[in-house]
Amino acid sequence: MHLDPFELHRPTTVDETVDLAGRLAPDVDYLAGGTDLLPNYKMHLNVRANLIALEDVSELRGISLDRVGAMVRLADLEADAAFAASFPGVVAAAREVATPLVRASGTLGGNLLVETRCFFFNQSLPWRESLGYCLKADGDRCHVVPQKVKCYATFSGDIAPALAVVDAEVEVAGPSGRRRLPVSRLYDPVGDGIHRHKLAAGELIVAVHFPPESRGLKATYRKLRIRPSFDFPELGVAVAARQDAGGRISRLALSLGGLETYPRRFDDLTEPMVGTVPTPATVRALADEVQKRVRPVHNTFLAPEYRKKMAGVFVRRATAEVLGVPESSP
Amino acid sequence: MGSAVSTRQTTRLRVNGTAIEVACPPERILLDLLREELNLTGSKRGCDLGTCGCCTVWVDGRPVLSCLTLARLVDGHDVTTIEGIASPGGLSTLQKAFVEHGATQCGFCTPGFVMTGTALLRDHPGASRAEIERAIAGNLCRCTGYLKIVEAIQAAGRESA
Repeated sequence: MHLDPFELHRPTTVDETVDLAGRLAPDVDYLAGGTDLLPNYKMHLNVRANLIALEDVSELRGISLDRVGAMVRLADLEADAAFAASFPGVVAAAREVATPLVRASGTLGGNLLVETRCFFFNQSLPWRESLGYCLKADGDRCHVVPQKVKCYATFSGDIAPALAVVDAEVEVAGPSGRRRLPVSRLYDPVGDGIHRHKLAAGELIVAVHFPPESRGLKATYRKLRIRPSFDFPELGVAVAARQDAGGRISRLALSLGGLETYPRRFDDLTEPMVGTVPTPATVRALADEVQKRVRPVHNTFLAPEYRKKMAGVFVRRATAEVLGVPESSP
Repeated sequence: MGSAVSTRQTTRLRVNGTAIEVACPPERILLDLLREELNLTGSKRGCDLGTCGCCTVWVDGRPVLSCLTLARLVDGHDVTTIEGIASPGGLSTLQKAFVEHGATQCGFCTPGFVMTGTALLRDHPGASRAEIERAIAGNLCRCTGYLKIVEAIQAAGRESA
């Protein structure tokens, strides 16, 4: 496979990067680790004439308990023992991304903005051409939900759900300055679905910030996929919680990725559990309600009915694990 | 969008200890530079999409997928390929273990496994079976069923520990 020619830019500061992106827009992409973008470029998916490599922008580096730079390699994040002790769920999710070779190059920011995936999108050019392309690349219709003019490609990042449940925030730099937003609000539940994040043209994730009060939360990440050492998620469940000595919940959050078009929190279901002592029955009720609500479509390897059912099973197991209650049998 | 005329730029890197200076267009992939321009054909082109690990090389000692690495971005860095893992004509401890344990059949994936396995044993000489299995998760073999590969890495680990 070959890459079409492009121009490669190597800025060294965030300001320079954003300025460059503004001038080259819309015919430009940022290049972080390249493990998602370059395969897509090789498949001729939404290729741009300019790539801005973030390699030399030093502000995008660095790991501390308060902040992880967007260009931090996932391999370095998973190897950081102090960070793992404070944010075990985030590191658990990072360790589940693809393979060690991908994580050696792949970055935190890259995983947050990993391209959404679909049977009809992640295909070779001749394959897509023979079908008349699709909404997300070169075409004008969705083959998964043909009656809608909207893209249903699946959000396939592992780390966003784990960041969302510890209330992490992304720091974004753009043409109009810097802003921060919760990871859970980085994604767009509405719109045309082609771009599932809320970043404006030229905006760049600089870092992820972690509130001190989220350190040491009990947390887990469970992932459904065909090959346990390799694949994109067919479902990812992140849970984080805190309980008092009597087991009473003081904080609980749940987020699901890999299932729908964006990672989704279920605050209206978890917040009523705050102040209660969880039981197998309350955990089960939470899981059943999540299962009822989620709407996977048929655009990944596993059947949507199965993934929907597994959403219930995984939520029940992950929540029971974090809250230390026995699992109720189905 | 997406049609540019790219410009070549001099890229300087060290490959297996030798300083190289080569004019690279931006879209040149490290694997192509190694195989097509430097005639280092030990690193294999398998899937070309980062899935199989046959193209694994080290950049500054870290195993990476050369099929997903732009050559221009390793400017100023050290690249080690399978050709640089042992003295010319010789075999490394791990390579010998692959031979002794029959860890190679068609051989296409072997350079990738040797690069990943050598880096693992360098950093964790006493790596457990589970650590080995985890480390080679990104290297695919379609012949051996992995058992002999894991045994070879374990044996080499014991020898070098």
